[in-house]
Amino acid sequence: MTLWTMVIKMSEGFGKTCAIFFLTLIFALPLGMVVALLRKSKNKIISNSVRFIISVLRGTPLMLQLLAVTYGPYYLFDISVSRNKLIPVVIAFSINYAAYFAEIYRGGIESISVGQYEAAEVLGYTRAQTFMRIILPQVIKRILPSVTNEIVTLVKDTSMAFTVSYQEMFTIGKQIANSQTSFLPFVVAGVFYFVFNAAVDFVMGKTEKMLDYYQ
Amino acid sequence: MKKIICLALAMMMLLALCACGEKKEEAPAAPEAVTFTMGIDAEYPPFSYIDDNGEYAGFDVEVCRAACEKLGWNFEVFAVNWDEKLVQLDADECDCVWSGMTILDSMKEAGYVLSAPYYDSTQVMLVKSDSGFASSADLAGKDVAVQLGTSGEALLADDGDLADLAATFNNVITCDSFLKCFTELDGGAVDAVFVDMPVATAYAAENEGFTVLNENLGAEQYGIAFRSGDSEMCAAIEGAVAELVKDGTYAKIAENYPDIINNLLFIN
Amino acid sequence: MILQMEHIKKSFGDLQVLRDVSLHVDAGEVVSVIGPSGSGKSTLLRCATMLERVDSGSIRYMGETAVSTDEYGNTSYVDAAALKGIKRYYGLVFQQFNLFPHHSVLKNIMDAPLHVQKREKEEVKAAAMELLRKMGLESKANAYPCQLSGGQQQRVAIARALAMKPEILFFDEPTSALDPELTGEVLKVIKQLAEENMTMVVVTHEMPFARAVSDRVIFMDGGVIVEEGHPEAVFGNPTQERTKQFLQNYQR
Repeated sequence: MTLWTMVIKMSEGFGKTCAIFFLTLIFALPLGMVVALLRKSKNKIISNSVRFIISVLRGTPLMLQLLAVTYGPYYLFDISVSRNKLIPVVIAFSINYAAYFAEIYRGGIESISVGQYEAAEVLGYTRAQTFMRIILPQVIKRILPSVTNEIVTLVKDTSMAFTVSYQEMFTIGKQIANSQTSFLPFVVAGVFYFVFNAAVDFVMGKTEKMLDYYQ
Repeated sequence: MKKIICLALAMMMLLALCACGEKKEEAPAAPEAVTFTMGIDAEYPPFSYIDDNGEYAGFDVEVCRAACEKLGWNFEVFAVNWDEKLVQLDADECDCVWSGMTILDSMKEAGYVLSAPYYDSTQVMLVKSDSGFASSADLAGKDVAVQLGTSGEALLADDGDLADLAATFNNVITCDSFLKCFTELDGGAVDAVFVDMPVATAYAAENEGFTVLNENLGAEQYGIAFRSGDSEMCAAIEGAVAELVKDGTYAKIAENYPDIINNLLFIN
Repeated sequence: MILQMEHIKKSFGDLQVLRDVSLHVDAGEVVSVIGPSGSGKSTLLRCATMLERVDSGSIRYMGETAVSTDEYGNTSYVDAAALKGIKRYYGLVFQQFNLFPHHSVLKNIMDAPLHVQKREKEEVKAAAMELLRKMGLESKANAYPCQLSGGQQQRVAIARALAMKPEILFFDEPTSALDPELTGEVLKVIKQLAEENMTMVVVTHEMPFARAVSDRVIFMDGGVIVEEGHPEAVFGNPTQERTKQFLQNYQR
C-alpha cells in the first residue's frame, strides 16, 4: 500500500475522529456545568448521588464505559445496538468528559471569592444573573488551562472508539498496520494527532490571550 | 467426539435447509433483499485484512462475497473488535464472525451456531532464523509472545491444551496484535511468537531472518460463528459455499492464497 | 426615618455577636460605628444589608418592613419580591472593594443599573461618567480594576454603589485594606458625600475622620451599643469606662 493510499484511508477515519471530538465538546462542556451545579446543590441526596456518579465515571476506564453504553442497553433491556456507532460513542465520551469538566468547573467556582457573590447580592443581581454575569466569566478564565489539558487528552482518547468498532482514524490505522505488517500507519496516526493538538493549542492559546486583559 | 459434532451440525443444517425451504414457499416474493453483514477481524491476513487499495480483502472476505452473490444477498463487511467479537455478534452488529476464527468448545457451549470447519489451523512457533531453536522444547525458559484473544492464547492458558508446554516457558507475553508480537520478536524482547501457521508463513516469506518451526502444536479448525437462532442462515451460507466448491470458484479464490491453500478442507 | 433596626440579635453557633442592638438612621445623617474588632459592628452592617440573616429583631427601610419578629418570637423575612424592592434603598462599600475584575471601571458602575434596575443606557452612562468625574477617575473609565491602586478601586466601588441611587450607603471599614497614604483620597470622597447630605453609616477605625465627619458616633463592644452620641461628646467626654479605655488605646 502506498503512503498516499494510507493517508487517504486514514483521513476518511479522521472525519469520524473529528466528529467524536467536536460532538463530545459540544455536549460535555455544558453538561459538565450542569453536573457541577448539581454537585454543589444544597440537597444532600442530589449532591451526594452526583458525587458518586462522578467518582464512578472518573474511577473506571473509558473503555468500559464505551462498552457499557454501547452494549449495556442491549444486554439489559434488549434494545438493539445502534448501527450508527457515533451515537453511543459520543454519549459515552460526553458523559465521561462531563464528569471531568464538572470537577474542573467546581474547582473554578469555588475559587471565586465570596466577596464577588456578596457584591452582586447587595447590588440586587438575581442568582442567575450573578452566575452568568459575574461568576461564570471569571470561572472560564481560571479553568481555561485545565480545560485545555482535558481537550488535548480528548483528542488522543478518540482512539478508544475502536473498542466498539467505530471506524475512526486510529482504528483504521491499526487495521492497516496489521494487514500490511507495517508500523507506518502508526507514524501517520501520530502526525494526525500532533497536528490536531497543535491546532487545539493554538486556538486555546488565543482564547487565553483574549482573556488576559484582567487578572 | 468431533465427528459426532460434525454429524450433529450436518443434521442441523439439513433441518435448517428444510425449514428454510418451507418458509420460502410460504412467502415466495421477499420484497427486500437480505443484507448479510460479515464480521471480520480486519487485522488478520490473509483471511481478512485491508489490501493495498485500502479495501477489505482476504480469503474469507472473497468467499463470503461470492457466497452472498450466489444467494442474491447484499454483502457488507463489519470490522469487529476481536476481543468483543461475540458481544458484537450478539448485538446484531454483524450476522456472523468469519475471519480465520478457531472453533472453540466454549462457543458451542454458549449456544452459537457454528458452521462445519473449512480450515485446519496449525499453531506454530515463529523464531529468528539465527536463534538455533529447532522445536518447542528448545524454548524452555524463554519468552513467548501470543496475540490476545486468539486460539494460541487459549492453548497456552492455564487450562489450555498446551498448559504443560507453557509452564516450561519463562513468560508468555500477550500482545493485542500480531504486528506487535512480531515486532517484539524482531526487537529481541521475546524469543518466539506462537501463532497460526498461515500468518507465520506469510510473515516469514515477506521478512528475512525468520523461520517457522516445523511442529504443529495445535490441531484446531476454523469455522464461522452465527447467533444461536441463526441456523438457517448458517445452512444457507454453507450451501452456497458448497456450490462454490462444486463450480470451482472456491479453488480459484484459494489460488490467490498459496500460504493457506494446503490446509483448506473443502479442496484437499 | 430611612433605617430602623430594632432589637437585633445574631449568633454564630454559640457565639452571640449581636445582643439586642437597635439602630435608627435619619435622612442626611452620617453615623460612624467604632469599636474593637469582634465587637459586632461589621455584623451589624451585614445584617442591615441582608448578607446575614438576623436571629430576631426587625429591620425597616423607608417604613417598609424587611424583617419582623412577632410576639411569639418568630422572626420572618418578607418574600423575595418585597426584599428585592427594599434592596434598592441601600448600597454597601466593602473593605475589600469586591469590584468585578472582568469588567472595566465603567462597566462595573453601569452593569447593575442596566441589568438590575433596567434603566436606559444613555442615562446610566451619563450618570456613571458624572460619578467618575466626582471621584476624579474620568480617565480610568476604560481601565480594569487590576490596573488601579487600592484607593482608586475603592473610589470606583463607591461610584458603583452610588450609581444605584441608594437612599443610604453603608461602608464596612472602607480604608482598612488600603496603604496609609491611600486612605486620604477615599476619606475625602466620603467627606464630600457627607457635605452633599448623603445618608451614610460608616464602620471605621479612622477616629479623627469619624470625629470630623459624623453627626453621630456609636461605640460598640461585646455585641451591644455601649455609648452613642454627638462625636464631640463621645470622643471628648465619654461617659462609659469601656469607651474611655478604647479611645485611650487608640490615641496612644
